[in-house]
Amino acid sequence: MVATSTSTTTFTFRQFVIRYGVYISLALLLIVALVLTPNLYSQQTLTVLLKQSAQLGIIAIGQTLVLLVAGLDLSVGGVIFLTSVVIARVSNGADAQLPLAIGLSLALSAVIGFANGLLITKRKIPPFVATLAIFILVQGAVQAYTRGVPGGFVPEGLSIVNQSVSFISIPVVLWLGLSALFAFVLRRTAYGRRLYAVGSNPLTARLSGLNVDRFKISAYVLCSLLACAAGVLLTGYVGYVDRFIASGLDLDAIAAAVVGGTLFTGGRGSVLGTLAGVLLIQVLSTMALLLGLSIQTQFIIKGVVILAAVALYSFARSD
Amino acid sequence: MNAPDIILDMKRISKAYAGVPALREVSFTCARGQVHALVGENGAGKSTLIKILGGAVQADSGEIVFKGRQYAHLTPRLSLDMGISIIYQELALSPYLTVAENIFLGREPNRGGVIQTRQLRAQAAELLQRLHVHIDLDAPISELTVAKQQMVEIAKALSRNADLIVMDEPSAILVGEELAQLFLTIKSLQAHGVTIVYISHRLDEVFQIADTITVLKDGAVVGSQPRADLSHRELVHMMVGRPLEEVYPAPIGQRGEPVLVVDNISNARLKNISLTLHAGETLGIAGMVGSGRTELARAIFGADPITQGRIVIKGQPAVHASPAHAIKSGLALVPEDRKAQGLFTALPIRHNITLPILQRLTRSGVLQPKQEAQVVADAQKALSISMTSGDQEAQFLSGGNQQKVVLAKWLETHPSVIIMDEPTRGIDIGAKFEIYQLMRRLNEQGVAILMISSELPEILGMSDRILVMRDGQIVGELPRAAATEQAIIERATSGAEVE
Repeated sequence: MVATSTSTTTFTFRQFVIRYGVYISLALLLIVALVLTPNLYSQQTLTVLLKQSAQLGIIAIGQTLVLLVAGLDLSVGGVIFLTSVVIARVSNGADAQLPLAIGLSLALSAVIGFANGLLITKRKIPPFVATLAIFILVQGAVQAYTRGVPGGFVPEGLSIVNQSVSFISIPVVLWLGLSALFAFVLRRTAYGRRLYAVGSNPLTARLSGLNVDRFKISAYVLCSLLACAAGVLLTGYVGYVDRFIASGLDLDAIAAAVVGGTLFTGGRGSVLGTLAGVLLIQVLSTMALLLGLSIQTQFIIKGVVILAAVALYSFARSD
Repeated sequence: MNAPDIILDMKRISKAYAGVPALREVSFTCARGQVHALVGENGAGKSTLIKILGGAVQADSGEIVFKGRQYAHLTPRLSLDMGISIIYQELALSPYLTVAENIFLGREPNRGGVIQTRQLRAQAAELLQRLHVHIDLDAPISELTVAKQQMVEIAKALSRNADLIVMDEPSAILVGEELAQLFLTIKSLQAHGVTIVYISHRLDEVFQIADTITVLKDGAVVGSQPRADLSHRELVHMMVGRPLEEVYPAPIGQRGEPVLVVDNISNARLKNISLTLHAGETLGIAGMVGSGRTELARAIFGADPITQGRIVIKGQPAVHASPAHAIKSGLALVPEDRKAQGLFTALPIRHNITLPILQRLTRSGVLQPKQEAQVVADAQKALSISMTSGDQEAQFLSGGNQQKVVLAKWLETHPSVIIMDEPTRGIDIGAKFEIYQLMRRLNEQGVAILMISSELPEILGMSDRILVMRDGQIVGELPRAAATEQAIIERATSGAEVE
């Protein structure tokens, strides 16, 4: 009996680390920041921090969805670049054309996500390879279309994403709203349940009557659509078209999901964890910036944090 | 009289996992050059004992004496070096290396790090000759039948000068004359003075090959006797702990309308299969592993395509494009490999149970947690699943409780036909009885059961009728009254009378 009760407590301690590790780390980091970089809490810094978190966070929701079905999407950078080019070209600076431009971007993004999904499910191409190829293809196609000269203008109206009341801005509201929506969808709808099931064990899922391919494809389509939404925000934020607009964000988004407890092997993870992971990465970057650390040092710190998180999870999960 | 030459003496070995005893003071003694059969139901502790011998698991107490030297604990390395080789069911071979390379993997004859290929092949050839088997030395492992792969494993054990070879259910993957070949090989190993521990729950084999039989039950030794002193009935009684007649509840003996008609279906693994399943009956499917039993289950369930023929469910021709269609028309499949195909081990029990019926538990797309909790509570009660809560992950349940979760999932869909592939594999005796009782209750409610099993006593005890498969075909039908282990094995293995 004694042995049983001790084994139960270790089990719950590990569960505790897996379930709340990222939130506790974030809280600790915020406390450390109070001492080390109190500037972090100035309204100006917080506003920028949250806005950047929103851009990363929306992409990371999408990555969480594809990671849940044991996938990965490296094409989001291409989607974001495509979105910025479409907005500039189609609207050519005219606010009235903005809905059309955004609509077209969303449609194209959905097609890209669908293509990713088809390659991975029907052609059985590993997600890494399929989405990398699609990324290269999209980047190439967009550049062929622009001939390397990003023409057109970003409409003035899109700069609305830069305005904020206190530290609340449209990107932040959108990010939190989408997080809440997807957290609800994953936890409380049949679709969410089935998505976890498909990621957790596709063989059992199929034998339980699920169309596994359809769920996987849907995750890639949603991931592309979310990347497109982030692309719209980024385009408004930057104000011009740039091939490197999403550079770094694509991989950071995967890192944020992983730090937040989402597993590469599928079936485990949550939108809330990813949200905390995003904040953790952004707070860390901002602190490094405030401390005047070089960009190289920032990367090293980021790398160490990601490794530490993953090592902690794998330790807590091993027996 | 001289004491027999004892090569292995495991003394009072105990082992518990998280407070649950797996072995209780088990003593196991092998005389040199004998074939010693270790038998017992699943969960009796056979594999734990073997893992301790192989050094993969450490005993909590007890000691091991091997070739006169005493050890408290073994490590995998030490165990190998002493001359103990264990051949597990899942063979540990590298699929893309050749036969010769696999035999000497990690110990290739080399000069300064360069492998001496000619020497390697010569030594491998000699080993295979000692075993009287003919295998192409240069064939990659993946191109061999499992039987030949097993021979390669045995050759590998010999190449390490093993004095004691443990074979864990070696016959489970063999078909027909392959078993005869294995027995020949065992005899020749024995002639070379090698001691064999042969693990199996197929009693006929054990009686054929063993010199001594040790029976484990619930982690303790029930008895250890020379084969000559034991009868078949006595052995069953020792293994199961009660006479054979009391294990299986009597069939209800009535059957209703046909609910499932399989009419001449074929695919890559099946040839012209026809069968009719009636409401309230249990139809047993026997045959060797690889005879097409599992493939038949998958084809009926829509998991594998059929190229010809048709399936009729309750009078309606079924177009089975997928398991989803099969489930809608009232079928359920409890698959053979529970962890890989029946469960979501990393997901909570309640997610496992309610997955096929989520539609019923949602209101305008939103799940109703209270209703779900009710379904799970009812299932727990109906099947007496021992679990801490619906949020517990399925991986933390015992095999028997896991199987109950799989069954609970399907019972919620109110199927008219349940296909059960090895329904009691890897689960303890208590849960086994409960599952047999449940099957009978389902029969009484008119549910038809198609049961595939490798355990002949189970087939004989549970089935109203028995179909025997071989090479993707049905090669015989036996009514309950006429069925014997002998009759099934003859049909499942002999090649002549059917073609």
